[in-house]
Amino acid sequence: MSDRLLADWQAHALNLESEINKVVVGQESPVRLITTAIFARGHVLLEGDVGVGKTTLLRAFTRGIGGGYQRIEGTIDLMPNDLVYHTYLGEDGRPHVSPGPLLSEGENLAVFFFNEINRARPQVHSLLLRVMAERTLSAFNKEHQFPHMLVFADRNQVEKEETFEIPSAARDRFMMEIPIVVPSDAEVMESLMFDTRFHNVDALVERVPAGILQFDQLNEFAALVQDKVQASPALRRYALNLWLATKTPGQYGIQISGVDINRLVIAGASPRGMAMMLRAARVNAWLNGRDAVLPEDIHAVFHETVAHRLVFSPVYEMRRTEIARELLSGIVNAISVP
Amino acid sequence: MMINSRILSLILVVLSVHGIPAALADSKPNPQVLVTEINPARDVGYHVGDILHRTIILKAPASYKLLDTSLPLKGTEKKYRGQNQGVEVRSVDISEKQQGAFNIYTLKLQYQVFTNNVVVKPSQLPAEYVKFGGEGRVFQVRIPYWSFRISPLAVYGSVKIENDMSQLRGPLLLDDSQQRLALWIALGTLALSLLGLLYILGNRRWLPRMGGEFARAYRDLKKIRKQNLGLETGMTRMHHALNQSSGGSVFSADDIIARKPAFASIRDELNQFFRLSRHVFFDTTAKHQVQGDPEQWLQQFCRHCRDCERGLNK
Repeated sequence: MSDRLLADWQAHALNLESEINKVVVGQESPVRLITTAIFARGHVLLEGDVGVGKTTLLRAFTRGIGGGYQRIEGTIDLMPNDLVYHTYLGEDGRPHVSPGPLLSEGENLAVFFFNEINRARPQVHSLLLRVMAERTLSAFNKEHQFPHMLVFADRNQVEKEETFEIPSAARDRFMMEIPIVVPSDAEVMESLMFDTRFHNVDALVERVPAGILQFDQLNEFAALVQDKVQASPALRRYALNLWLATKTPGQYGIQISGVDINRLVIAGASPRGMAMMLRAARVNAWLNGRDAVLPEDIHAVFHETVAHRLVFSPVYEMRRTEIARELLSGIVNAISVP
Repeated sequence: MMINSRILSLILVVLSVHGIPAALADSKPNPQVLVTEINPARDVGYHVGDILHRTIILKAPASYKLLDTSLPLKGTEKKYRGQNQGVEVRSVDISEKQQGAFNIYTLKLQYQVFTNNVVVKPSQLPAEYVKFGGEGRVFQVRIPYWSFRISPLAVYGSVKIENDMSQLRGPLLLDDSQQRLALWIALGTLALSLLGLLYILGNRRWLPRMGGEFARAYRDLKKIRKQNLGLETGMTRMHHALNQSSGGSVFSADDIIARKPAFASIRDELNQFFRLSRHVFFDTTAKHQVQGDPEQWLQQFCRHCRDCERGLNK
């Protein structure tokens, strides 16, 4: 029974991927990663230049997942209470309070889309930190639950004015940080320029069939995937070695040009981070029709699930993206299986 | 008659008183010339057209020179009892060097046989006379003849070989030089092939690109199999060899071929190895498609990797 369930859901997941790939072209890898995060029940942070389709991609997924959807734009004057409630003067001339984006959908909130997250103040990040980790919020003397909620956020890496660096504790709540780059295929680039269907984002997102997945069944099914997809002792040892290497890369013989490797890492991947990596790896194995995790499954999600969790010495923070990529590639290259 | 006898006696007396001491003074012995011959090794079995080489070394006091005019002439043929001998001088080559108080003359003579007979015929390289001059005198030195036998080209008349079973004759041999050449070529090829085979099968580092990762892994795999340490140990060893050879961890055939293009010829086997690895280490239900004993297959696979490492697989 569960095997059939796994196969059915795999078909749904691949269908969702296929539909998204029709709308957001040339982003097959991010699409696969976001699908993985959805089934691993992890929050996703997209990072990329301006206008590369981050928001379109997340909106398309939101439509495909179904369920309640709320969105908020990160601004410098955004305060935590803006996420929880609105106050306004009603027609009766008296002040009224209505639920904010986090509360308005109640438990049916499936996707909370935080656009330009790095424009929000640290206070907002703090609120989000709890919501992401516990999927609960205390407001109006009540504990609100968001059992199906996924946070999709994006930030552009170009603009630094009026932005706030997301603290590492908040970054760690995201299962994946996925870089979005402009497709390099000339045909795709030409299509993005000349094909008018890509010019109207709202109409484009509407092309994705709504509710391909049953958002309220995802938690249960995600647990089934984690239960069914096995990790052998050899793979466990491998994952453990990867983790240790993120803490002390120098001991594994990893070298990065222009970097003192012994002073680079202040904190390696967190236990939560490695657990998320394994969750994502299991989902990747299932999406590829396997019931056991292989090293390839870990590699498919390793960079996106680990890179944003590493805490580097401040002197190397400016080159974070480049160094993290080299470091993690070096780790994969240095750690052998079995 | 008596008078004549007395006159003769008188002449003899005069000669004995005056002439003989003078004659004795003129006939001082000729300087000694040492003659050394180097004759052909064989003195039988020559036929018409054969060329015989003879080297004469003359060692004479330095004050005496060999007169070139006394050397045998090319194309001349000695007579014996009025008959041509049938042995003609083909070439004459003289060289000279000084050694202390002596001159050494090396005379190289070539003679060619121009006669034949229906039975064996004795012949000789003729004696030659060369002259030396110096210190106001000329004298000649005799180079002795050298005898040999000229054989007929064919046996005269009908021969019954059964009646001629002399042990001394020895067997009649066919010319086997071609076969010998072929044999040597074949032996050479065999030796090279054996060396090549040794190189292919060899495990030790005694030639370039030997003793690499896979050669060592091959030896280890044989030990692992002998000691029944299990397939997992062998697979781990093979993974280690692949990682070492590729300069980092590799997880697929494409990874390896990207780093080591020489392994492209065994892409299928590499894929098979990673499928087997997946079965052994990660997913026991995964199909690996290795027929027969996986440990034996692993050993063969390692040998093929070793061949790639040595550049033997194209």
